[in-house]
Amino acid sequence: MYSWFRQVDDLLRGRRTAPEILSKGEIPLPLRVFTPMSILLGLIYGFFMGWYALFSRENPAYAQMLASTVKLPALFLLTLIVTFPSLYVFNALVGCRLSFSATLRLLVGVTVVNATVAASFGPILGFFTLSTTSYPFMILLNVVLLALAGAVALTFLLHTLRRLAAVPYGTPLQPLPPATELDTPQRRPEPGPLDTPPVRPPAEAIGQAQSIFRIWVLIYGLVGAQMGWLLRPFIGSPNMPFEWFRAREGNFFQAVTQQIQNLLGA
Amino acid sequence: MRVAIQHCDELLRGTARFRVGATSQRPWWWVVAIILVVAPLYGAVMGSFGLDSAERLRQVVFSGVKAPLLLLATTAVCLPGFFVLNTVLGLRDDLRESLQAILCGQAGLSIALASLGPVTRFWYFSTGSYRGALLFNAAVFAIAALAGQIVISRYYRPLIARRGRHRIALYTWFALYAFVGIQMAWMLRPFVGSPYMRSTFFRQEPFSNAYVVVFNLIAGT
Repeated sequence: MYSWFRQVDDLLRGRRTAPEILSKGEIPLPLRVFTPMSILLGLIYGFFMGWYALFSRENPAYAQMLASTVKLPALFLLTLIVTFPSLYVFNALVGCRLSFSATLRLLVGVTVVNATVAASFGPILGFFTLSTTSYPFMILLNVVLLALAGAVALTFLLHTLRRLAAVPYGTPLQPLPPATELDTPQRRPEPGPLDTPPVRPPAEAIGQAQSIFRIWVLIYGLVGAQMGWLLRPFIGSPNMPFEWFRAREGNFFQAVTQQIQNLLGA
Repeated sequence: MRVAIQHCDELLRGTARFRVGATSQRPWWWVVAIILVVAPLYGAVMGSFGLDSAERLRQVVFSGVKAPLLLLATTAVCLPGFFVLNTVLGLRDDLRESLQAILCGQAGLSIALASLGPVTRFWYFSTGSYRGALLFNAAVFAIAALAGQIVISRYYRPLIARRGRHRIALYTWFALYAFVGIQMAWMLRPFVGSPYMRSTFFRQEPFSNAYVVVFNLIAGT
């Protein structure tokens, strides 16, 4: 277990998506480690999310708590399943020579980043859940925290893809550019996952890849948001009985606008 | 006592053991000690509103205990998010320095609070308005937070110069800390203690959300 956490830590630090590794066309993210980890980290956030069902009503709804805990990793993984084929196709289109399984490994890695950032916000969520009875506030707080986590994860993905596009398959890396005055501390910091690659990418390839990846990120964000809406209730309205799933109506964006209005008392 | 004051002075000025480059020799236990000792001084002053009976003395003790609790609990709630964010931004190598900067900032905030204690006491002395006391304390906390930011920014300057991304981490920390801190203060209330209510450690009413309360106040619902 400890070594699994070490591997997640390596991923977050960007050691597993370093340009030297990517240039070999490998993505060293074993699925048998990272899939369970994305589920585990998702469970942690879901657990804090489920607290609301315990503290907001007179009879704690343990079933809702369990449902929240389980649904959160399901949200991450189902979004991945729905969007994976399109990323793979786009990826192949722009000439990123990642194999099918390498693309999948990369995306599971992104899911792990998403779930880890979300889980690290868990204490903040739990703290507000303990002290809040307002249902609209909790919904919006969850939306904001998950959106932040999603934004970090997608930035991670975009940077990795940019590195991949910048590193032609099988070519050795050019040496690092000389350090500038600002960049001369005693030790040179290890490049993080979001740092720009030390090689100069061909400009036109990057531009094309970037726009397609941006479209894909948009798709991922929209599907993720709507998936969350389909799987609701996550938090559980204190005025409604527990259900595993609610009737299929409306969409995520209508609902968020409605909740903002509710919170403002309009 | 003299050593303690000297440490506070060095921390505020950023000299000697607390100078910007001296990461490894910075005595972090002193920083924690400063928070634990200095913050209650202001807490006690804050709780001394309408001090007219022995019963009100309890508020002084309660507020004294709650002041460092407010700072440390807020930090504890925000740390996991800050840790993961630093990791993803690729700033884990500097984590030790970042955490020291944050801790020093809290100590700076505590010292600034304590230094404003006499002013608060003077304000209580010259006015009996409970609302006035609340607003005055809000202003004092805002000023002290500014002092805390100055200290944090001083230690962050070399980090930002080394890697610009530290700025994102720092601003995220400020945002998280303020967001959680306001709610934490609301949960831990009363700090000043209404003269019409008994002194209690926590309010007896159920927990509520500061932001929702403020929204309702503005919307008048």
